[in-house]
Formats: sequence, structure tokens, C-alpha cells
Amino acid sequence: MKKLVLPLLLLCASGLTLGALALLYNLPLDTRDRSPAQPIPFSHKLHAGDYQIDCRFCHRHAESGPVAGIPDVALCRSCHEHIATEKATIVQLKGYWERAEPIPWLRLHQLPDHVYFTHVMHLRAQIDCRYCHGEVRTMVQMRRVASLKMGWCLNCHRDNQASIDCWTCHI
Amino acid sequence: MTTEAKDIRWGMVIDLDRCTGCGACVTACQAENNIALTDQQGFAQGRNLQWLRIERYWEGEFPHVRARFLPMLCQHCDDAPCEPVCPVYASYHTAEGLNGQVYNRCVGTRYCANNCPYAVRVFNFTDPSWPEPLEQQLSPDITVRSRGVMEKCSFCIQRIRRGKEEAKLENRGLRDGEVQPACAQTCPPGAISFGNLDDPNSRVARMARSPRRFRLFEDLGTEPSVIYLKGGGHEHPG
Repeated sequence: MKKLVLPLLLLCASGLTLGALALLYNLPLDTRDRSPAQPIPFSHKLHAGDYQIDCRFCHRHAESGPVAGIPDVALCRSCHEHIATEKATIVQLKGYWERAEPIPWLRLHQLPDHVYFTHVMHLRAQIDCRYCHGEVRTMVQMRRVASLKMGWCLNCHRDNQASIDCWTCHI
Repeated sequence: MTTEAKDIRWGMVIDLDRCTGCGACVTACQAENNIALTDQQGFAQGRNLQWLRIERYWEGEFPHVRARFLPMLCQHCDDAPCEPVCPVYASYHTAEGLNGQVYNRCVGTRYCANNCPYAVRVFNFTDPSWPEPLEQQLSPDITVRSRGVMEKCSFCIQRIRRGKEEAKLENRGLRDGEVQPACAQTCPPGAISFGNLDDPNSRVARMARSPRRFRLFEDLGTEPSVIYLKGGGHEHPG
């Protein structure tokens, strides 16, 4: 009986280690809500889908810099001064404008520390917005589609012969 | 002068006869790369975080003494002693001759710093902090390294990245002198030059062919990418 104790203990320990590693590998990078309720129920389906507004009309900095950017209240207002002015959500939007407050949008796509990502270079490589952000045109409430894990980035970089040098992204 | 050389091997030339030891490069490096400040106690313990430091030497006998200065930074060795000792491959060599350090891979064994003959790798013994209002000047391009991570000069990789991106967006090659690390940009007497050593017409390549050149601890065979120039000026007759 005593002979069996040590092998059994070792077996248990290695099993636990393997289980923990498998769990760590499969856990999502970002455990926050994938589709949280935003302060204003903005519908991408209505704007980008039904009305065919280009992504870059609102996310203006995608073409010129690392961050695509969230439009300021002034840009929302520039249309909504004339369009759907009576709707409850637009009245809510105007409230932010009158109080000179930014809208506290919740960020969905947050990259971990030590990751350098730039939108403009990916647009230059003609990667469609949908490739990472999913079918935004059909989303009434925006949700995160991609895992944003390193392996997911690397797969695409390998397929497109983009650089897989560590310092390309980790600076 | 444009460099359209296909391959890049980054290198730096430091003219010691121009260096006045003012320390502007040290400050610029500290600000550009979000390097935490070290207090008096940290310095006393030898735990100062500096990617670039000025070494001071006294030359001659009293009363004919003069100070010589040597900016010491990561030499980005071609045959770097720090790279093979890292157990997690956080220290690695890039295709462009840079000696890379991947902070999110580093587990803080400090083997690399112990194997570095130039003592230019620094370790975060404490969580970084900045007295107010200095935390406002942190660069958003770089993540602040946390406690337990080894860090070092990267030849301002964020500036190299940006320079390359700008060149690519304009569909051209990098121009000589387009990419400058913070130290080279700041140096008041222009002692520090940075560029592509593989392009024979670049400023650094021409300077690197000077008979005044030397590299630190050349006998160790580390093949540094930083080349120093010294002597032969009017203050060194003969």
C-alpha cells in the first residue's frame, strides 16, 4: 500500500498541473461583458447597416493613426440637430451636448499592456473592418467578436506574410 | 542623402570629442521611454533605472586634469551575451540587428544583466512611480514596465516603428536620419548619430569607417553596434 502513495500523489499533481494549464490556455483574454449596455442605446445596425454610413465617417482616426477613435458629441449632434430630433435617445444625446459632457461609452476592444497596434497599417494592408470587428452592420447592440489573443493575431500575420517579429507588436 | 538600402542594420556612432557630458541624452531617454525615477536610496543600492548613463573619467595628473565622458547605453551586440542565457527567450535578436527585450515575456531571472559586460540592463526592483506632476508626461506609445521586469535601451523602437510606418504609408524607403532616438535628437553638440550601417552612404556608415573608431571591450567579441570615435581632433596633436 505504501508503495502506491508516491506514484498516486505524483499522478494527482501532474493531472492538476495539466488541468490548470489547459484552463489557462482556454480562458478568454478579456473576461468583461462582451456586449454591455451603453449609456445611449446606439444602434450600429441602423447607422452602418440601414443607412450605409461608412465606418470611417465616425471612426475618423482609423485612416491616420493607431486608434480609430470614438466620435465626439459634436459629430453626433451635427447630424442629429436635424434628424430624428424628437426621439428620446436623441434628447438624451442633446443633454450631453448642453451639459458639455462626453458620453461615457464603454470600451469593448481593449488590448493588453505592452501591445502596440495601429489601425492605419491594417487599413493599408486592406484588412476589412469586419475581419476583426465582425458584422457590425447587423448588430443592434455592439458586441466583441474577436478573442484578441496573440495566437489570433499571429494566424493572420502568418497568412498574410506580415512581420511576426516580437518587437513589431510588443514595444 | 536618402537611403534606399533594402536591409537594415541599425547602428549608432558617438563622437566622444564632441560629448560635453551635459546629460541631456540621459534626461531625454528617461522622458521618452517612461523610465521610472530612482530616489537617493535606490541609487545608493545600485538600483538606479537608467537606460543611458554618462561614464566620467579623469585624465592626466593634477593640475593638468580633464574630465572625459562616455555615454554608455545598450550596445546592441551582434553576438550578445545576454541573449542565450534568457530561459524564456525574452531577450532576442531582431532581423535588424537590434537586441530586443520582450517585457511581457520577462520573468525577471536577471541572468541577462549578470551576463552583460556593459552593465546596461536595469531591473525594476520596485513598482515604478513618478512624483506629481511628472506622471502627466508619460508617453502613451510605451507601456510602463512593472516590478520584476528587466528593461534596457531599445534604440527607441517606438520611433523606429513610427518612421517605418510613415515611410510605408508614403510608399518609399526610410531616409537617412529620418529615425532618431531621443538621445541623438537631444544631444546639443550633435555627438550621437543613428542610422543604417548596411547602407554604405548613410551618415553612420561613413562615420563608422573613420580611423578614430573604436568599440567597447572589442576583445570580448560581442560585436557591438555602437561605435565610438575618439582622438585625432585638434586637441590631440599627433
